[in-house]
Amino acid sequence: MHPFDRASRFVLPAGGLAVLLTVLSVGWFTQPDRFAKGYAPRQPIPFSHQLHAGVMKIQCLYCHSGATRSRSAGVPSAEVCMGCHRVTRTDSPAIRKLTAYYDSGRPIPWKRVHTLPDHVYFDHRPHVNAGIACQTCHGPVQEMPVLTRVMGMRMGNCLGCHRDPHAALPKGSPIKRGPEYCSACHR
Amino acid sequence: MKTRIPVPADVPTALPRHWRTLEERVESPEARRAAQDEFVPGAMDLSDLPAPSALTRRGFLGLLGGAAALAASVACDRKAEGTIVPYTRRPVEVIPGVANYYASAFQEGPRVYSLLVKTREGRPIHITGNDEHPGFKGKTSPRAVADILRLYDPDRLRGPRDRNGSLAWSEVDRQLQAALSGAKSAGKPVLLLTGAVASPSQQALLAELQAALPTLEHRAWEPALGDGALIGARAAFGQDALVLPRLEQAKVILSLASDFLDGEDPQAMAAFAAHRRLSEPGQPMNRLWVLEGPLSLTGSNADVRFPVRPSRLAAVAFALARDLHVRHGLPLPVGADLGAVPGGVPPGVDLPAQAWNRLVDELASAGPEALVLCGGSLAAEAHQATHLLNTMLGSRAQEIRPVSPLATLEDLEGLVQGMAGGRYAAAIFWDVNPAYAFPAAQAWKRAMDQVPLTVWIGLVEDETASQCHLHLPANHWLESWNDYGDGDLHVLQQPTIGPLYDTRQGEDLILALLRGLGSSVPADYHTYLKARWQREVYPKGTPVPFERYFEAALHDGLVQAGKAPAAPAFRGTGSAEAAQRAFSAPQAGLELFLHPGFATHDGRYANLGWLQETPDPVTKMTWDNPLLLSVADAQALHLGDGDLVDLSLGGTTLRLPVVLQPGQAEGVASLALGYGRTTGSVAAHKGVNAFPLVAAGTAAPFLREGLRIAATGKQKTLSRTQAHHRLHGRDIVRSYTPAEYTQEARHPGPDADPASLYPDQRFPDHKWGMVIDLSACVGCAGCSLACQSENNIAVVGPEQVARGREMHWIRLDTYYEGPVDNPTVVHQPMLCQQCDDAPCENVCPVNATNHSPEGLNQMVYNRCVGTRYCANNCPYKVRRFNYLEYTADKTEPESLVYNPEVTVRPRGVMEKCTFCVQRIEDGKIRAMSEGRPVKDGDITPACAAACPAEAIVFGDLKDPHSRVSLLAKSNRGYKVLEELGTRPAITYLADLKNPALEGGRHAK
Repeated sequence: MHPFDRASRFVLPAGGLAVLLTVLSVGWFTQPDRFAKGYAPRQPIPFSHQLHAGVMKIQCLYCHSGATRSRSAGVPSAEVCMGCHRVTRTDSPAIRKLTAYYDSGRPIPWKRVHTLPDHVYFDHRPHVNAGIACQTCHGPVQEMPVLTRVMGMRMGNCLGCHRDPHAALPKGSPIKRGPEYCSACHR
Repeated sequence: MKTRIPVPADVPTALPRHWRTLEERVESPEARRAAQDEFVPGAMDLSDLPAPSALTRRGFLGLLGGAAALAASVACDRKAEGTIVPYTRRPVEVIPGVANYYASAFQEGPRVYSLLVKTREGRPIHITGNDEHPGFKGKTSPRAVADILRLYDPDRLRGPRDRNGSLAWSEVDRQLQAALSGAKSAGKPVLLLTGAVASPSQQALLAELQAALPTLEHRAWEPALGDGALIGARAAFGQDALVLPRLEQAKVILSLASDFLDGEDPQAMAAFAAHRRLSEPGQPMNRLWVLEGPLSLTGSNADVRFPVRPSRLAAVAFALARDLHVRHGLPLPVGADLGAVPGGVPPGVDLPAQAWNRLVDELASAGPEALVLCGGSLAAEAHQATHLLNTMLGSRAQEIRPVSPLATLEDLEGLVQGMAGGRYAAAIFWDVNPAYAFPAAQAWKRAMDQVPLTVWIGLVEDETASQCHLHLPANHWLESWNDYGDGDLHVLQQPTIGPLYDTRQGEDLILALLRGLGSSVPADYHTYLKARWQREVYPKGTPVPFERYFEAALHDGLVQAGKAPAAPAFRGTGSAEAAQRAFSAPQAGLELFLHPGFATHDGRYANLGWLQETPDPVTKMTWDNPLLLSVADAQALHLGDGDLVDLSLGGTTLRLPVVLQPGQAEGVASLALGYGRTTGSVAAHKGVNAFPLVAAGTAAPFLREGLRIAATGKQKTLSRTQAHHRLHGRDIVRSYTPAEYTQEARHPGPDADPASLYPDQRFPDHKWGMVIDLSACVGCAGCSLACQSENNIAVVGPEQVARGREMHWIRLDTYYEGPVDNPTVVHQPMLCQQCDDAPCENVCPVNATNHSPEGLNQMVYNRCVGTRYCANNCPYKVRRFNYLEYTADKTEPESLVYNPEVTVRPRGVMEKCTFCVQRIEDGKIRAMSEGRPVKDGDITPACAAACPAEAIVFGDLKDPHSRVSLLAKSNRGYKVLEELGTRPAITYLADLKNPALEGGRHAK
């Protein structure tokens, strides 16, 4: 076979395929939200938001009480859980584990589901106090037996809403736009 | 790399009115070239980077490929998102992410500062003054702000130890009990040497220890206070006392080498500045006369200043008293006799008769509204004469506060003899460092070796510790309980963090000693202190229960209870002898003036990098204490800046660099104390230890005569920032006399705001701005330290400072005007001007710096690629570049001091003042959460909050009624370099000087 023939029949298509596969795989691996969305790690205690927030209808702010007062919404201390679980379902293995943590004073090492880069100073206060529902960013948490990340939480997500917040804001809110300048979040 | 713009031929030949360095003053060709250079020589030199390894190109590419493959394989897994660790039981007052503030207190010698400590998730991160304190009004000393660094000092001793290794506290207690009981039964004295005792509870505790151990000899010693002040106060009042200026009413202030504006006394600074903040010409203004040897920060703020040899100042004070008595009929106090004192300018003092007469007349006419202050370094006679003067004037501008007795160097010499003679069974050194600060340190150390048991109590093992048997780690004051008497106030100190290590509060140790001696005492000092409060402070018959009363006192940090101790009465006896000593024949030749260092004080702050790197307010030296000489003396000795000399005096020789200081009196050399420590990873070997030059046992230990200076022909690179960030001799600072102010207010110059090619910036909601009053600013660098603490500013070290790589976002520029031997000085805080048409923004290739719709020039670290174009284009020289990695190696405990609201910047990133944008955003969000607009005063940047003189005002320029808007319209207002069209957001108010003499500032 002539070398040109071999090149056009095998090497070129194979090379083209290799390049295509590389581009596709790299693209797929590095797609922005690949790891962000759908992240649902196994937690040390299988806490179900579906049960607590969905079925029991416990308000988000009951446990995440920092959201109106602090930059971070906060994960409740074991003491908050024990407020009910001193008497409720004390026989279940998960609650026994919780009680063990509480009694030992060791903190529960919850896996972080929602995270932002270090140079982002997101503040819960203005968002929650403006009446934006937690579900806007955190998804239908009340339907999740295992907490799952539904938003990439990239700068595009922030800016999209800051430029047109009407969908997220309650009806009649006077707020027209969110800040878009750098130092609102980066400092 | 460096493009040098050729100096045009038509450079103006007239000298600029203001100058910063001597080369500029004489317009040397080097200075002109340096002014054209963007960076200090060496700033761009990367030769101190790790040497490139011998890696070949192929090897490098191979490693690169391998690294890429590894990175790709790592990227195929989800990156660790980390864990969230909540509290198990959350303390009620802690909301993660929200700062809590606790009132506490800090002691430096006999001075007490009521403070507010900002904590985040239980760790203290920032210190300001307590706004409940009626005197300090939320302000404090720069050293109190910086002392938070000591809490997180990695050098801290973390558990008790002896010479063989670490020890349990129970073992310590056992050893101490055995030693003290043995001493008690044998009737042998036990020495306890401490710093000044300012706490009534501590005093009560020590009294109990004295009762339980009658052989205890307690001495309190403050090496930086100066024996002259102590002996002078004893002669004048019969007891130890502290002079606190109360300048609210003072019209005429005469400082005899007293540096009362050096940051130590925020109350005096506030009161002084309040009378210099004129809004219209012709308003009353106080007048500060300064007679001193070296130029001090106070002297740099003087209206009339004359360089005088410090040894002559006692004679000056007596002659003033005599002239006030003879010419103005001011009565002499009982017992005072000035019959032998000649009137007029004393011999050896270069002061025109006209100025002298004017000074006498002004003091006499101001009477009770005049005050004479005397520097701690001066002789006892000068202090005695000053007390006499103030008594004659009936001055209401001071508070004489009795303090608990302090030891002089003469007393300490007695201790050395006692120790060497085997007098003591044990010696305890608590927060004192005599093995460093005692002049004859070697003799002290040898004497210590003769004591069977020596115990050291402190935080970081120092020179004294290394001589001691037992090293007992103490709590930092942020981990401790205490209380202080402050006039009629009782100030409380409460812990804001639990002990980080296996340490004990010093007072708890004394309680343990008491327990060992068989006394029944409370379990801890907290209980002891509360019991004493219930007994002695809590007003009888109050309806409020004690617990509530104490909680309220803790909340406020202080209570007003009882009366301030009465000011001691002045006794005139002995003044004739003192005057005779003061007028003894003046010596020729150089004299040496020693004074506590601005940053290091008596050496106790030497391990704090923030303070070491803060440029001295006058000399702008960092990390070092050079020998300051007047320009004339240096020229006579053929010495220049940085020349190493051998300074010898009484058998001590020190090798140190020389700095030529404008304004320094001829024949006077000066040197700061507190440097040249041999222990501490930051403190060691920075500068030279000047304590061996102190003359123990005299009435003026900090004034020496007969020193010899020999040039060595060697040079030292100075870490001095005076010549950094030059501003090309443009119209940067303005300083008016009252006449010039009137002229300027009547005929303001045209506003230089050139037309811009760029569209005007629009500010829909806010336009943040600042006003800095140069007339109120005294230049104490309190703003710079507060900024360092708030904004996680890196410490870079002396070598980097010498290359112009210091990182301070706000710096104090010092400008001189007039003759080199006695210039007028203006201090100017310089920080990012947040220009509306910012030159830095236009040149950034990656848009890492741009303008916010609130008028802020934003800096986005994660976009910055480090081209440094912005710093190159900034006419104010306020951008700071992270040339090296200053922060990555910081681990706990050092990293605990960081403010979590501010990014810690890595290498290769530009940074600069942000107007404390974290505070702006927080203020806005708080206001929004409360459903109200932002009020004026809601947001205060760290510099403005710390400024004792209230020279910095921040606010919204869009609000026409805000303080900053009103002040920005002042007839003293100008913007620096506004002719460049940068449109800065900072308005400076011109400095005012109030000269007393014809011919303005430089009357001779």
